[in-house]
Amino acid sequence: MKKRWLSALILGMAALAVVAFASTAGGSSSKSGGTFRVGSSSGIDSLNPYVAFNQDAYSTFQYIYPILVQYDRTNVRFAPFFAKSWKASNGGKTWTFKTVANAKWSDGKPLTAADAAWTINTDIKYQTGGAANVAGLIAHIIRAEAPNPTTLIVHYKQAAGNVLGQFQQFFILPKHIWSKHTGHKGADLKTFPNSAPIVGSGPFKLVKYQKNEIALFQRNDSYWGTKPQVDTFGLRMFSNDDAMISALKAHEIDAIETVPATAIKTLKNAGFTISNVPGLDQTDFIFNSNPKKKKHRELLNLKLKEAFAHSIDRAQIIQVVFLGTAQPASSIVPAPTGSWHNPSLKPETFDLGLANKLLDKLGYKRGSGGIRVANGHKMVYDVIAPTDVHSIPRTFQIIQADFKKIGVQLRQKALDSSAAFDLMSGPNGKYLNFDLAMWDWTSLIDPDFMLSVVTCAQYGGWSDTGYCNKRYDRMYAQQQLTPDQNKRRAIVWKMQKYLYDQRPYIWLANDNAVSAVSSKWDGFTNTPQGPFNELSILSLTSVHQK
Amino acid sequence: MRGADYVIKRTAFAVITVFVAVTINFALFRLAPGSAISNLSRVPHATQELREALKREFGLDKSKGAQYAIYLKQLAHGNLGVSFENQQPVSHNLWEALKNTLPMVLLGTVFAIVFGTLTGVIAAWRRGTALEGATVTTALGFYSMPTHWLGLMLVILFTGVLPTGGMANDFLINPSFWTHLKDVLSHMVLPSLTLGLVLYGEYTLIVRSAMLETLGEDYILTARAKGLKPWAIVRKHALRNAMLPIATLVALSLGYIVAGAILIETVFSWPGIGRAVYDAVLQRDYPMLQGAFLLLTISVVFFNLVADLLYFKLDPRITT
Repeated sequence: MKKRWLSALILGMAALAVVAFASTAGGSSSKSGGTFRVGSSSGIDSLNPYVAFNQDAYSTFQYIYPILVQYDRTNVRFAPFFAKSWKASNGGKTWTFKTVANAKWSDGKPLTAADAAWTINTDIKYQTGGAANVAGLIAHIIRAEAPNPTTLIVHYKQAAGNVLGQFQQFFILPKHIWSKHTGHKGADLKTFPNSAPIVGSGPFKLVKYQKNEIALFQRNDSYWGTKPQVDTFGLRMFSNDDAMISALKAHEIDAIETVPATAIKTLKNAGFTISNVPGLDQTDFIFNSNPKKKKHRELLNLKLKEAFAHSIDRAQIIQVVFLGTAQPASSIVPAPTGSWHNPSLKPETFDLGLANKLLDKLGYKRGSGGIRVANGHKMVYDVIAPTDVHSIPRTFQIIQADFKKIGVQLRQKALDSSAAFDLMSGPNGKYLNFDLAMWDWTSLIDPDFMLSVVTCAQYGGWSDTGYCNKRYDRMYAQQQLTPDQNKRRAIVWKMQKYLYDQRPYIWLANDNAVSAVSSKWDGFTNTPQGPFNELSILSLTSVHQK
Repeated sequence: MRGADYVIKRTAFAVITVFVAVTINFALFRLAPGSAISNLSRVPHATQELREALKREFGLDKSKGAQYAIYLKQLAHGNLGVSFENQQPVSHNLWEALKNTLPMVLLGTVFAIVFGTLTGVIAAWRRGTALEGATVTTALGFYSMPTHWLGLMLVILFTGVLPTGGMANDFLINPSFWTHLKDVLSHMVLPSLTLGLVLYGEYTLIVRSAMLETLGEDYILTARAKGLKPWAIVRKHALRNAMLPIATLVALSLGYIVAGAILIETVFSWPGIGRAVYDAVLQRDYPMLQGAFLLLTISVVFFNLVADLLYFKLDPRITT
């Protein structure tokens, strides 16, 4: 009896191991040497560009699909990619791209300008359905055509100012694969799983993918551009930073794309190379700026907003929360975007004396407990704080302590991001109820997207401020339709200044992109989004063993 | 006949429980603040068209009643729906996650049952000795430890010795069967051990308590007086009569296996069902949540039904 029980247990264990083995087996197509292994705490939600939302998914598409243009090593200028050259004509309403000749998809089929034209036209056709996810990228385009295999002509309704910025994020799909999935009025575009191995034409092929586990990329030998130096690179997903750092220290992986500030010293001491460059992520303090809000209308007063701005100790936030790996922020377009950032905008000084004077001038006298009274009620406000932004709880504590000194009491309302946004935009996307919030934004290099989030059109969409101002919206439309980039920059700077004075946001800290890599590897291109990013493919095409 | 009545009643009760749970699952997630649309439409260059298209696509433009009717109709056809997040069938997503979770959680649970029962029996049999004190203290210690804390301690302790994240080393180049098997087992050690250690404490305490009760019974004294060997007394008389609470606990543990272990899967980056459910909560992926909780409900109800039927076998008093 005893032996039977023991045998059953051993058999059970063996069965478990076999099940586990079967579920992870799938074979690796890695070649010997040259496998660069990156740890990521993000993840790929879908391999279908019409479905995916996560940043790592977009970065993956950058590596496997052709894109017309990419950013150069400075990360601010556009460089040729599948398009070797381009020119605007017809007053900026027609753009002609000359594309690479004799290029091939990874299955050997020819890759031509016709694939690009098909992708653009398909997205236009189904922009309210299956292709809605990418509709913003083809805004203002009427149609595209490919008169020959190396010429792509794109026709716009009006001259557009951000053509290249949009095409830097636009993935060209293989017509011979995707044209079979446009059924049900384009709805099938979203249900096609596009599983690995994927037919693509980037520097790498995605040969293996397991959700929350691994994405394995192999060098694409039929790639038409400069070939990558590594044979393979892999993205291994971690749900816990400590486990990821342990894996790096144990040399189970070679690099980490986002290093928590607390681990920088440990990894430096362990001999890893740390890249610590200004990034595109900024934390912010939000005022509900909807002029129709019912309660606590004193928060719409620009002088009150100014007083609050002088009560935020950015230096302390950067030292305590980010351990020095951030910069004070001042504008909706962060400094690492280069010349798009308006350099005349400086973070407000931390000056509680000035803040108190401004509030005194507004007539908000201190009541019981030192709390000021405005419009007959105590200045006590809830601050909505999404729990998925790790820096916010500690940042809130610092702000809360300083606000107490100016007679304003803040209470944290911690919610997950979905519930937080629901509460902020409610009821029915009208932004009537909330007062204050904290969150963060990750900017793109082109400022169009960041400038759009405070337009009236973004009510119920990207807006987290309830800000709606017709004058601002006119400037936004103007910059979108200004092809001359110098003239457009002047408008963009003016818009930043306007927002700086209106203060739907007080910008707090612009945190650095910190990555770590084993000393055995070299050749990275630093970007404000780490080594594996959606800005350019340069990092992982140039990385090599020392 | 009484036995058949009992089985029919318990089975009917289980079916009703599942139906009630299905309804609650449908309502619960929709009552929670936040929405799938606001989450999914927060991508650069999102347009109003995208938001409207998503609403139509997910059927969220319909009334709650209509959505519920569609859900029940789909269920009746064995269709769990399509995930909002990746547009794949929920059954496919659940299976992908479940097949990763089952081996790890089952290994930890089996370890806890075997080791916890053994130490519980020993602690009861050696009552009043230092051995009992040490066993109970250790069990209480592990039982009271927060799971994620214990996991993190093991990560720190075993860095460089055992893999601390993931299910396997996916970068191994053409590994042989045995190399891969060894690799998978080595990745499973720490998460399974974390789960096993926390659960083992619970088993030890329950088994000890149940054993102490039966060891005080007159028939144990009689068995001793008859000169039976200690092990025979424990195995044939004490443990068998202490099986009711132990069977309940085992059934509960097995029922929750499909729930995975969210904290453990997060600490060890284990791509299992616990993490899938957590992601679905954050994304407000209603079909995925409904599917996962339906699976959990069926599993818990099924194993409870098994425990009920086992009582029938273990405890003749039920039939009298």
